[in-house]
Amino acid sequence: MNSKTHKLVWSVGVPCLAACAVQAYDLNLSSNLPPVTFHGFASQGLLLSSDYNYLGNTTQGSLNFTELGLNASINPFPRTRISVQGFDFDVGNVNEYDPFLDYAQIEYTFNDDIGIRAGRIRRPGGIYNHIQDVDLARTSVLLPQGVYDSRWRDFYCSIDGGEVFGSISLQKAGSISYEVYAGMLNPAGNGGVARSIESGIYGSGLTFGGVDQCPIFGAQLWYNTPLDGLRAGFSGGFVSDVEYSVASPGMTIDTVINIPFLQGSLEYVWKSWTFQAEYFTLNTSGNTYAHVMTPFGPLTISQTSGSNQKEAWYVGASHRFNKWAEAGVYYTEDYENTELTGNSKDFQKDLALSLRFDLTDWWIFKVEGHYIHGTGLINDNAANSGMTYDDRGWFMLALKSTVSF
Amino acid sequence: MKSLFYKISLLCVAWLAVAFPAAALDGAVVIVNSSVAADSLTADQLKDIYTAKTKYWDGGQAVIIAVLPDKTDAALQQACGMDSSSFKTFWQRLAFSGRGQEPKRADDASALVALVASTKGAIAIVPADAALTGVKKVEIK
Repeated sequence: MNSKTHKLVWSVGVPCLAACAVQAYDLNLSSNLPPVTFHGFASQGLLLSSDYNYLGNTTQGSLNFTELGLNASINPFPRTRISVQGFDFDVGNVNEYDPFLDYAQIEYTFNDDIGIRAGRIRRPGGIYNHIQDVDLARTSVLLPQGVYDSRWRDFYCSIDGGEVFGSISLQKAGSISYEVYAGMLNPAGNGGVARSIESGIYGSGLTFGGVDQCPIFGAQLWYNTPLDGLRAGFSGGFVSDVEYSVASPGMTIDTVINIPFLQGSLEYVWKSWTFQAEYFTLNTSGNTYAHVMTPFGPLTISQTSGSNQKEAWYVGASHRFNKWAEAGVYYTEDYENTELTGNSKDFQKDLALSLRFDLTDWWIFKVEGHYIHGTGLINDNAANSGMTYDDRGWFMLALKSTVSF
Repeated sequence: MKSLFYKISLLCVAWLAVAFPAAALDGAVVIVNSSVAADSLTADQLKDIYTAKTKYWDGGQAVIIAVLPDKTDAALQQACGMDSSSFKTFWQRLAFSGRGQEPKRADDASALVALVASTKGAIAIVPADAALTGVKKVEIK
């Protein structure tokens, strides 16, 4: 299917199909088994920016901003649940409508305190990581991108492995819910990591050789306070031996890095108000090896070490006026290199104002304006070829519509 | 001194409201499918069900929540501390991350009662004046 046909299917066909099924669909396989329940959603967005091509060719208006999820679940045995979700998305040149298995897991819950989940699972991380590409689960179109980068979902969202989850009651002091996970990350060849590296070597004559599967482990803890709606979260983890290579004729450059990361979260839902604040940091450190090919095999001619600290945070609030209207605002700052905070190419500050309209029970529409300062998250050098990165402020408009069942 | 006493009293009332949620639901009752063994639930147990902390009944059967949008919003807020929009978003987050099953919806009270009657493990908050046929009313303590 060519790109135009793909877009037509996504932009028109899928939303119409989804809109036909307002309720979840139950499929009865046998009288002895509970039904298989299906849910799904389809989102189509438009991004338009004043100065830079960010998340697509946005200076001309980009429709390459699409998400679709279709899931099925069943409880075949007591305390056992099996669920599967297929997913597809396009953000600029990332993924480009290439469908994949988002999660496929079996879960057994011993009791409210502890359960296990294994297979391909959605990784928890802060308020939004496990649902960062589910548009209907929030007020804004774009989440604060320094914390939840739409392009990096292949690196952040799903892992092959397992987790232990549950909740520990603290009696009148509230409760602690936890998820502790370990598994393997599967960076995609057309995912955010790959595109970022490709952008970094744009114009250098080097070719990108791919990113290998790598191990990850971590945990998400939430303290649910006795005050209804107030919770505080802490998340931490470690990605080990992320290995990728670039090459030129006669030479290969391999890089191996480790990435520890931390995230702190605070959320308070009070009546029709939601207040949120999060802080995220990760460190990349590792070694780069340059090899040349000799008649006797590859010869390492240089080895360099390096590290980089990234930090991002945001504060935001949203208010639901009635059944069909909601407004939100957030301010976020991202520093791609904490040692270069004064360089506008390394930071991005974003003030966003969002309006969400629940037109029906299954159809929402959002409009959002951004005033952005800095270009730290613009890493598509090919799309911005010839542009001057400076510290001027710039604008972006985001529209998005989602249907779900 | 009088002002200090007034503030302390207010704090105590607020703490009591948090620590001991009201048991009864305004203008609504809780019903379950006849397969559910429980005859009563505490307010905390009801809250745990509606906030996905408890996903299975004692026998291991999955809890299936059924809702009646608009008609029982006040009772829903009493039960789980979320308004109907927050409740819907909360469960959509769980459903699309593989962590839970979105509540089933009904268009009116009789349809909701019928849905609970025909769905094993189902629970719902229904208007107090609804005709309860084929379901079990659960006392909230």
